Amino acid sequence: MRTDEELMELYRKGSRDAFEELFARYQGKLVHFAFRMTGDQAKAEEAAQETFLRIARAAFTWQPKAKFTTWMYTIARRTTLNFLRDEKDEAEKVPIQPGEENEDGSPALQLAGPNSLGPEEMAWSAQIQERFVESLQRLPETYRSAFILNRGEGLSYEEVASVLGVTVQAVKSRIFRAREMLMESLSELLP
Amino acid sequence: MECLELKERISAMIDGEALPAEVRMVEEHLAACAECRAIERRMRSVGAGVARIEGEVPAGFRDALFARMEAENLIPRRRSLFVFSLRWAAVPLGAAAALALFLFMSGGKGKDAVMPPEPVPRVAQSPTAAPAPAGIAEDASKRLPAVAGREREKSVASAGAGQEPLSPEDRDIIANLDLLEDPAGIDAPGEVDEMEIFVPSGRRQG
Repeated sequence: MRTDEELMELYRKGSRDAFEELFARYQGKLVHFAFRMTGDQAKAEEAAQETFLRIARAAFTWQPKAKFTTWMYTIARRTTLNFLRDEKDEAEKVPIQPGEENEDGSPALQLAGPNSLGPEEMAWSAQIQERFVESLQRLPETYRSAFILNRGEGLSYEEVASVLGVTVQAVKSRIFRAREMLMESLSELLP
Repeated sequence: MECLELKERISAMIDGEALPAEVRMVEEHLAACAECRAIERRMRSVGAGVARIEGEVPAGFRDALFARMEAENLIPRRRSLFVFSLRWAAVPLGAAAALALFLFMSGGKGKDAVMPPEPVPRVAQSPTAAPAPAGIAEDASKRLPAVAGREREKSVASAGAGQEPLSPEDRDIIANLDLLEDPAGIDAPGEVDEMEIFVPSGRRQG
């Protein structure tokens, strides 16, 4: 099986099949990533599609030395943030806090609900997913991106650092902060 | 080590990013601290929860994307199977059409186009000779060779009236038309060439 980087090289030489293969590999991941970032299915679809278009448009600027997924998520994150900014400009209804590296956790989102179950134990329902998504949207974008890229997309700290353009230590700190804030806002659902 | 200082290391350990020495330190602490074990469990839970959040890839997602890419010339267009089939079928279809057209244009002469032409004496091909009516030629071709030869001789003789006199060679050919059209008459019974019997088999084959 060809690597992502080999497929990119083939696409740059004009292979449609190569791009079709990349699309098949990452369409789900990009839609999931955009949905985790935005919490909106329609925006996730648009952002994922726009990400693929940007990848295609920028294919000739891609450096074969770079890991494809790192490059792809860098584009995906920027694209998704543009969608969120557009929405904010239009309706100003999504409060995204300016995530500073040393910032303390914001006031927790108080969720109603009697259950106190861990995701591994509880039956995953649409309602519980909605609460997780809502809590994620309350995180500062820098925390949210780091946490989603690591836990949701499976990138290492080093890869997350590359996508976000920060140090590994900064990633470690952001992910820890994100965890603390989520634990607080989802306290009623967690064990 | 204080619990608060340890939390970040617990988070890194869950993600598989802690150093071996840090992992040992955290595990020792967790073994003795119930509060931090609860924190570790909750930390794992939020990570697992985020991983379970998924959007949906709609049915038309791929087609919509590739249509946009084709519109922007970002990707080569896929040729349809019909176009490929038409292209590959063009040569044999064209040949078949040409053959059909040829057969159609030849009309009643279709038989001549397929079968080798009947040998015609040189006299009949003379540019000054008038062509025999098509009906006569057709009838002659349907008859036995010897009969047809005689009739052709008559028609040639009548057609040649008033023309230049035939050369001796032409007359000889006309006189032997029956033999030319019916070679069996040459090897009549009792006239076997004895020399041919003694020809070595190797030479026959050669």
